[in-house]
This record gives sequence, C-alpha cells and structure tokens, in this order.
Amino acid sequence: MKKWMYAMLLGLLFTPGIQATETNKAIVVYDDKATSVGAAKLTIAKPGDLWITLADLKTATGFVNKQQGVCRDELCFPLPKKRRAEFLQAQGKTTWFNLTEFARLLKQPVAYDAAQVAWYFGQRPEVQNNYTQNFQAPNFTLPDKNGKLHSLSDFRGKKVMIVTWASW
Amino acid sequence: MKNQNFEILSIAEDTGGVKAAGPWIEAGKAEYTVLVDKQHVVTRLYNMVNVPTAVWINEQGRIVRPNEVAYSNNKGMSVTKVDTEPWINGLRDWVKLGDKSAFAMREQELRERVKPQNPDWALASAEFGLAEYLYQTGSGEAAIPHYKEAQRLNPENWNFKRQAWALSNSKEKYGTTFTDEVKKLNGKPYYEPHRLPPVKN
Repeated sequence: MKKWMYAMLLGLLFTPGIQATETNKAIVVYDDKATSVGAAKLTIAKPGDLWITLADLKTATGFVNKQQGVCRDELCFPLPKKRRAEFLQAQGKTTWFNLTEFARLLKQPVAYDAAQVAWYFGQRPEVQNNYTQNFQAPNFTLPDKNGKLHSLSDFRGKKVMIVTWASW
Repeated sequence: MKNQNFEILSIAEDTGGVKAAGPWIEAGKAEYTVLVDKQHVVTRLYNMVNVPTAVWINEQGRIVRPNEVAYSNNKGMSVTKVDTEPWINGLRDWVKLGDKSAFAMREQELRERVKPQNPDWALASAEFGLAEYLYQTGSGEAAIPHYKEAQRLNPENWNFKRQAWALSNSKEKYGTTFTDEVKKLNGKPYYEPHRLPPVKN
C-alpha cells in the first residue's frame, strides 16, 4: 500500500466534527413487511417518535426524500415548508427522517410497542377506503397450503365469491 | 354451479397458518381454491367482522354483494340462527344471471352498505397488525396488550377477539371466553341477518 493511502485512511478515522448519533435496533412493519432499522435517539424526539436514516426509509417503506417531497414511484408527498425540521434533521453526514410524523401527515394509523421497539404502519385512509367509493374489490395475494401464491386479480373475467373462515 | 364461469375462493383467517387451517382444508376436500391468510389481510382489507363472511365479485372485479354471513348449509342453524337457504338460492340466481340478478346490488344499495373505516377502526386494524407481528415473531405475551387495544377500538370485530382468545388461555389473559361473550349478547343475533331482495314467483 502506498504512503498516501495510509494517510487517507488515517484521515478518515480521525475526521473531527462527525458525531455518531446513538441508535436503537427497531422494527418497522410497513405494508405488512417487517424491516429492522436503526432508530436514532435524538434529543428533540418525542416519545413514540421514530427517526431513521434515509437509507432505512427507502429499505423499510420504499419512500425517497426528493426535492419535490417524499416520494415512492409516481406518488409524492410534499413536506410542509415551515415544519421541515419536524421531518428532517441533519447531523454530520447523516440525515434523519421522522417516519411517525410523516405517518401523521398522511393520516396513517400507527401502533407502537415501546418494550419491543416496534412500529406498525397501517394503510393511508384513501388507500384503505378507495373501494368504498368505486366498489372495486381490493386485490390480495395469498398462498394455498402448498405455498403457491394466488391473487384475486387472477380470477378477473369470472364471477368470484370470496369466503373467509377460520379454525378457531 | 361449476362451468358457469364462477369460482369460490375460500380463505382461512388463521394466525396459526397452514398448521392451524391445514387439517380443516384436508377434511373439506375442497374442489375450489383454498388460501391461508396468516396476517388477516382480507379481514382488514374488506373490514370484515366475523367468519364465515362472503363477498360476491363480478367479472369486472366489482363488488356486487359486500360482507355477509356465508353458511353453505343449515346444519348448524340451531347455533348460528341463520337460515342460509334463501341466500344460497340468491347465489345460484346471481351465478346464472350475473349483474341482471336481483341479488346483485345496485350502486345505491352498495353506498348504504359499504362504509369507509372510521379512525378508531383504522387504528384497531394497525394494533391488530402489530399484535400479529409480535405473536408471529415469538413475542406472544407482548402481543396481548395490542390485541386488547384492537378489541377496544373496534368492539364490533369478532375476528379481532376470537383470533386473540384462541392464541392463549382467554379466561386468564383476557378475563373472558367466546362462550361468555355470546351469552352477553342476550338473544341479540351474533350475525347480522341477510337483507335479501323479495323473491318473485
């Protein structure tokens, strides 16, 4: 290894000014998918708040912070300009995102367990209630007992009766 | 009703998954598609409050009869207090006539019957979702307060109650049992009665 490479490595190790924020291991369940994330212990955090990195935001929810708002595919939610600090906090090279505040903005129901450090994010009301306006049967994909997946949409073109039951 | 472009999709709302629902699937020897819904996705998507619940969906994927009690015969009628025969006849009529059937609801009736979730119900659904996650990942005890919260926020939902009670000693953990709760109904029907159109002869 060349001398300048050692110098660079040392430089990286001892760069002053970058404070690592302490994080807790947390679970985010979003769209019924569970992801392990790092929850930042920010001094400004209110109880039940969940601040995560933008990388974790993308992995757990598919949302990305962009110029025009927080977006997933074609969907974009602009953050209220005056309340930006309630959603985004920069610390050194890390930007923390308040996922629980974002859920409040979107009117998503959120359930939280402090001891298990787990958050469950429900559907946005306009998604959940869409079918009560247009009566299109909400699609779902579920396995049969052999694990083969079937979707309601596979049956389009036929009359379908869905019947739920239970062993309990 | 086979060969009439009609399919039954039977869905087990079971946190226990194939282990819980499997023996029932075997016993039923179903000729239709049977799915296992460990996360109660369908209950939550369609705001179902009970089992068995049926939804009729037409060729275009549109709901023509929303959530209704769905027994295939009257064997359990003394307990269920549901005479399912008129409803089964309605199903036959719809399978034959499609949207022209009097049993396929028109827009007006659907508007009256299919309501958006209120915020409490939405939160109940999230609490139930969290409870399911905790239970499935081995934190059964931690799940209980969230099952209870779901039950408190949406007391009409029997699925949220019965599934939770079935996962533990309900007397000990919830201070009640299904039988106790049914007794409390004091003659009030457990299932919302069918509201079918009058039959013309």
